[in-house]
Amino acid sequence: MKMKKWLMTLTAMMLVTSLIAGCAGNNAGEKNKGNSMTEEGTSKSGKPVELTFWGDWGGEGQAQFETMVDAFNKSQTKIRVKYVLQQDMITKFLTAATSGGSPDVLFWDRWRTSLYAPKNVLHPIDEYMERDGIMRDDYYEESLKELSLGDKLYGLPLTVDARALFYNKKLLAEAGIEPPKTWDELADAAAKLTKWNGSKLEVAGFSLGDVGLFNMYLQQAGGQMITEDGKTNFNNEQGKQVLNYWDRLLNQDKVYKVGFEQGLGEGQDAFVTGKLAMQFTGPWMLSTYKKYGKDLEFGIVPPPAGPNGDKGSVMGGFGLVIPEGAKHKEESWEFIKWWLANKDNALLWAKTSLNIPGYKPALEDPFFKDDPLWQPFMETLDFAKVRPKHPGYSVMEGDALTPNLQLFQQNKQSIDDTLKKAQEQGDKLLKDNSEVK
Amino acid sequence: MASVRKLERHQARTAYLFITPTMLLFLVFTVIPVFMALYLSFTNYDVLSRKDWVGFDNYRRLLDDNLLWLTFRNVFLYAIVFVPFNIIISLSLGMLMNRAWRGVKLFRTLNYLPTLTSSVAAATVWIWLLHPEFGLVNGLLSYVGITGPAWVAQTETAMISIILVTLWQSVGSNMIIYLAGLQGVPEYLYESARLDGATKLDCFRFITWPQLRPTTFLVSTLSIIGALQLFDQAFVLTQGGPANVTKTPVYLIYQQGFNQLQMGYASAQAFVLAIAILIFSVINMRMTKAEESVI
Repeated sequence: MKMKKWLMTLTAMMLVTSLIAGCAGNNAGEKNKGNSMTEEGTSKSGKPVELTFWGDWGGEGQAQFETMVDAFNKSQTKIRVKYVLQQDMITKFLTAATSGGSPDVLFWDRWRTSLYAPKNVLHPIDEYMERDGIMRDDYYEESLKELSLGDKLYGLPLTVDARALFYNKKLLAEAGIEPPKTWDELADAAAKLTKWNGSKLEVAGFSLGDVGLFNMYLQQAGGQMITEDGKTNFNNEQGKQVLNYWDRLLNQDKVYKVGFEQGLGEGQDAFVTGKLAMQFTGPWMLSTYKKYGKDLEFGIVPPPAGPNGDKGSVMGGFGLVIPEGAKHKEESWEFIKWWLANKDNALLWAKTSLNIPGYKPALEDPFFKDDPLWQPFMETLDFAKVRPKHPGYSVMEGDALTPNLQLFQQNKQSIDDTLKKAQEQGDKLLKDNSEVK
Repeated sequence: MASVRKLERHQARTAYLFITPTMLLFLVFTVIPVFMALYLSFTNYDVLSRKDWVGFDNYRRLLDDNLLWLTFRNVFLYAIVFVPFNIIISLSLGMLMNRAWRGVKLFRTLNYLPTLTSSVAAATVWIWLLHPEFGLVNGLLSYVGITGPAWVAQTETAMISIILVTLWQSVGSNMIIYLAGLQGVPEYLYESARLDGATKLDCFRFITWPQLRPTTFLVSTLSIIGALQLFDQAFVLTQGGPANVTKTPVYLIYQQGFNQLQMGYASAQAFVLAIAILIFSVINMRMTKAEESVI
């Protein structure tokens, strides 16, 4: 009896609490509806349409985005954009895309397109492009490819990047070496620049710390990561050439030591402190390295060509997309067009953020054309290719290829075994993650 | 009699009132999600566009998911080393800090400090300490003529590094639990044992250790669960590398669910992990409860 009464009170309390919670939920829902109603209503009566723009760049990046948003808001009176920082943007978008809280414009890591576009959460922009006469030729075809699925385009590129060879001018001058243009020249230069003190590596000639760059080397050897029908394509002559080259650098010439750069923060960056003479990295490091001024004189050249003269680098970067759940798609497109299909604004973005803009006409500006640090990237971007558009690609690279390459780098696996195992495990992961729809 | 019962009832009522908010939160955020995840593990849920019943497909796929079983092997190896060391070190620290010498409070605080540090921040500092050329650890080793390894980058030492860092961070809080346990051991047991001529070792073997059995049970259960759910230190120190030797199930589940949007399959993986944790906890319970407590 005692128990029962208590159970009833407890149940009653739980019911009341859940009712309160339920009411709160409903209220919030209605409020939102009310807001969007009035928004639509006011847009007709001349008040501006409010757009939400989501991104996961905080700090400096947030300030750069806000510069662009402010400039857009000042340029016209019909649309007001607001930048909202979402630290965990993709996870947040997952729930927002289906529950109605979707933003109007989304900052987008382009490689995700192949995974998200099949799920109909992104809005195709082909019609807008055609209507407003935006030329596809004004963008790097590779970057558009990464934003497409089938014959539909889902956004425009905001930035483009690719890795090139950074070298320490002082160290090269001391050794009397010109910046390398081929694999052989790179290996020779690296060997000359390396300094050992007993078993301690003091200066590494060239960085082999990131095995994730295999893709880039494979292109330079004339290969490709994935076949047309979605299988790995590196257990072959080209793959062997890459690993033979790494073997030469790592084990014969000993220009690097595994783990050399791991855990060094910005202040101790091996390239900044002169402990690393050359490395492949991208334009995102420019502003960091420039800070050191006279203390770090560095130059950049396009990545050296492989044994048959093939050039290769991996193009990456971001874009802006319109989610399918956006309430004001027309206005979102106006904002994207203003930012990414207008020379002046694309250039303002470039100069504000020190990124290479996706809009090619902006690259004609002297800011890029005449700068010896930007110019090599322009050259590299002409031949750089985006990562394969397979939805399982990043998993294959991270869980099958990278682990085997690490075993190879630590001399625990032969070249043949490495490529064979990476192929077997990689093909399986590609297959398991190929189905998206 | 009647008034006593009334008081009891009043107390019970208040107690239920106090635990209701917690239980509600527990229900909404823990119990219900567990059942939802169980349901999702039988679907092809991707958060965005589909949630179709696929029967046992996800569980069948688990069978030849070599990577998942490799991550299980990794955390089992980790747990086998981590859990015993965790108990030995925190018990020794607890016994050391249980004495009444000058400055003992300072040492208790110092030993507890690592626990208060955010695991990500601590791991970041440790990467630097473990750097092969410029790190403090290899710097000290070089004084005695040893060329230290590239701790977190080499397959042989990566897991050892993670064990060291996680031990450093977790013995402090377990030391506190043991301290509480030690202070609950009645002094008269030791007194009468000494009268009977027991040595210090006998006292530990026949009084301290059996008396601490419930404490050891708590500490070992918590560290087994923690070990099998290892994620943040492993993620920051090695990103699961080199060569997948430090990749953990939780890392894989997160990747499968949030990066590959295969939430259904990720739920199935999570259930296997939950069952593994359950099995190990039951084994642990049997082992610690094998002998009855003295009192």
